[in-house]
Amino acid sequence: MRWCIAVYALALACSRQANPGALVLKHQPLWGDPAPFHALLDEFRRENPGIALRTETLPNGSDIAREMFVTALEGGASDFDVFPIDVVWAPEFAKAGWLADLSGAFPVERLREEFLPGPVEAVTAEGRTYAVPWFVDVGLLYYRTDLVPRAPRTYAELDEFARAAMRRDPSLSGWLWQGRQYEGLSCVVFEVVWGHGGDLLSGGRMTLDTPAAREALALLRSAIDSGLSPRAVISSGEEETRRAFQDGRAVFLRNWPYVWAEAQSPGSAVRGKIGWAPLPSATGAPGPGALGGWQLAVNANSPPERRRAAEKLVAFLTSARAATLLALRYSRIPARRSVYTDPAVKAEAPFIAALLPLALAARPRPVTPYYLLASDAIQGELSAAVAGLRSPQEALERAQRIVDHLEGAQ
Amino acid sequence: MNREARAGVALAAPAFVVLAGVAVAPVLAAVWLSLHRSILVFHEHRFVGLGNFQFLLSDGRFWSALGTTAYFTAVAVGIELLLGLPLALLLQNSGGLFRAALLLPWAVPTAISARLWAWLFNPQYGLLHRLLPAVDWLGSPRIALHAAILVDVWKTTPFVALLLLAGLQSIPDEVVKAARIDGARPARIFRSITLPLLKPAILLALLFRSLDAFRVFDAIYVLTEGGPGNSTETLSIYAYKTMLRAGDFGYGSTLAVATFLCVACIGLLFGRALRERT
Amino acid sequence: MKRGLALLFFVGPFLWMALTSVWPEAQLTRPLPEALTLASYAGLGGSFARAVVNSLIVAALTTAVCLAAGSAAAFAIARLPVPGKGGLLAFALAVSMFPPIATVSPLYLVLRAVGLRDSLPGLVLPYTTFALPLALWLMTSFFRALPDELYRAARIDGCTPWQAYLHVFLPLSAPALATSAILVFIFSWNELLYALALISTPERRTIPVAIVLFAGEHAEPWGQIAAASMVATLPLAALVLLFQRRIVAGLTAGAVKG
Repeated sequence: MRWCIAVYALALACSRQANPGALVLKHQPLWGDPAPFHALLDEFRRENPGIALRTETLPNGSDIAREMFVTALEGGASDFDVFPIDVVWAPEFAKAGWLADLSGAFPVERLREEFLPGPVEAVTAEGRTYAVPWFVDVGLLYYRTDLVPRAPRTYAELDEFARAAMRRDPSLSGWLWQGRQYEGLSCVVFEVVWGHGGDLLSGGRMTLDTPAAREALALLRSAIDSGLSPRAVISSGEEETRRAFQDGRAVFLRNWPYVWAEAQSPGSAVRGKIGWAPLPSATGAPGPGALGGWQLAVNANSPPERRRAAEKLVAFLTSARAATLLALRYSRIPARRSVYTDPAVKAEAPFIAALLPLALAARPRPVTPYYLLASDAIQGELSAAVAGLRSPQEALERAQRIVDHLEGAQ
Repeated sequence: MNREARAGVALAAPAFVVLAGVAVAPVLAAVWLSLHRSILVFHEHRFVGLGNFQFLLSDGRFWSALGTTAYFTAVAVGIELLLGLPLALLLQNSGGLFRAALLLPWAVPTAISARLWAWLFNPQYGLLHRLLPAVDWLGSPRIALHAAILVDVWKTTPFVALLLLAGLQSIPDEVVKAARIDGARPARIFRSITLPLLKPAILLALLFRSLDAFRVFDAIYVLTEGGPGNSTETLSIYAYKTMLRAGDFGYGSTLAVATFLCVACIGLLFGRALRERT
Repeated sequence: MKRGLALLFFVGPFLWMALTSVWPEAQLTRPLPEALTLASYAGLGGSFARAVVNSLIVAALTTAVCLAAGSAAAFAIARLPVPGKGGLLAFALAVSMFPPIATVSPLYLVLRAVGLRDSLPGLVLPYTTFALPLALWLMTSFFRALPDELYRAARIDGCTPWQAYLHVFLPLSAPALATSAILVFIFSWNELLYALALISTPERRTIPVAIVLFAGEHAEPWGQIAAASMVATLPLAALVLLFQRRIVAGLTAGAVKG
């Protein structure tokens, strides 16, 4: 009996946090040498001798990190102060009251001047700032410069160019994209919807069952049916498609900017043979890419003594200097406009500098607190349509019903 | 109540208080929750009466999940019984080492077994993929559910075999010996004597396995998370996702209550069949 | 021949997993590894070790509680005139058939309210509830099978019912206790749903959850997953090998008596 109590007490004790007085920053693991980032943090410590800064690494994977944050913040956790949030979490977390209002230190107008419009839209609500943009991701199209004359401007051109290349080499896949049942699929589908002139949000409520959406799903489905895309895309994510493209087995790939550095590395079969471009659209104008990326927020439960310090840290990490370092050392696409025209970035990371037009045009997924709640249902229906289990019409109707149910009766 | 009865109640109390408190009370609470619109994250909590159940009846995803669960249960349990019987006969004449080896799939966590099979099914590196390259086991909607059934069969056939073994061992030797002396051939003995006497054990195995299969969660969650296109989504997974990913505790509870009612029906049906036999 | 096939089907996958755990990560695309390495095991790290400890804690606590409460209740039902004992046993059986998903949401809310949600002791509650019926049935059959005179003799000697349980019946029930302990331990070690739903901090994960959430942001470290699975499986394999007879007897007791 005493032994039981001892074990119980031990278990409880292990759940307490040590060192309650320091400012705590949570961040994702960084791909690459951690030394420059640590040096940056040391600089902050030097400039702010009164602040004791501690860092904690987050688990890999956005969904896992979100579940962790949701349960911690829902339980009123106050053992961390500054943390990154995925661009799609901001509305939900803000509505739940977990993000400190940063409008004092970061007024909305100043954000709009200094940062890209997409992330700013995602982190502000009703004239208040809930997070500061840190870095972004945008969907784009990669193509083989040795197989096609130029980047396609319309989906019809994409089909035409791909098939010409496939006729010359039947072992090639035409167009790779992420079709597995997860958030990546939503990004892909939304991009095609936007490319057909559709929108997903209307009057603050999500509208999924639209003619543009049906066209988009039909296009993706017919890409598989007609052999333009291999059936394997239905179970593929970013890595599977990247590997196939990097092994030289595909003509076109839709993916995120991280692929560029990987595909141009020594040892890649397509090094020097690839280009990138904005996504195609139905009309020929550049299609908007989906906006991804992370923003820095302050825990609303942080005690007031640490609030000021937290805001200073956020300002420091989102400053031009920090953003430039992240761009040069970790290939993080900046959210701050000025970094794109920074001479060092233009010289050493021309890929990033050239991404500015795409980053400016990147569209966020529906900015509503209910998006994340509905995303599971949306992914399921989109996946069913893409896999041919249901017609696009039926899938979108079902998705709309669930979304309406979640957003509540009008 | 005399002293003995009071002592008895005192001794039995802790166990049944836990059972009532942690099993029954939550189920009743789930029924209560299912009558609300409850989104934890936004502190929304509003009584909606039978609104959730009305939505349930017209929710295509619920009916798909119910169908998938029923199909999974019927096919998995059927195969397990068909394979379990020969396996039980094999176990009857085998030593401890063979039995221990066969218990391994049952003893290992389903999460690990499912990961193991996910690796075998992997469309790029998997062993099964190398043997049958044309098949994308977990990526094709129609095949994925059967892959999950395969994993369930692999994991629980030994357990079913054990239940049938117990039944086999309870058949008195004299009956079989007498039949053999009378000149009956082994196949005839099996059909006319062994099988009928085994019916209670078979029904019991059917009952346990059907209830388990209907509640399936672990294997499918790890293999496919319900995809592709929710084609492998069972009731438990739909309820789980609704509660913990969508954060909709109200409708999630509605789904859980619906699952509970289905399981209760199966239990009652089999219970009645069992009672009629004995 | 038939035994060989059965072994290939049921045990084969484990051998493949063992091979994968010593297969160099870079050579995973080739049909067979060219060299063997222990790098995957070395890379497992403290977080998985923590998961093993967490699983041990929860399984041990669950087993202790189940044995204590279960044997006491079983003795009462088997030997004492408890009103409605038949109904109680049927009730226990019914509880073991509940779909766990039905209790997740209220349990989540209640545990959250008392602050036990993201904690290991909090897991012990649902685990005990679903393992208790099994322990109860096993111990009840065992106690019922003991001779009647035993209890009467103990009472004549001046024992109270509680003393009879503690000093006479409990020691005698060591074999049944051992069987129950093994089965409850295995159940608790393997459980996934509640662990996934109730535990969020990575440091408190149990083994099944750690294995499921192993995936990194992009690539999946299959070698390490296999290594972790081996580490988690070997103790169970040892348990099964050593106590195979007990396990079989325990699992089939329900069938024979049921």
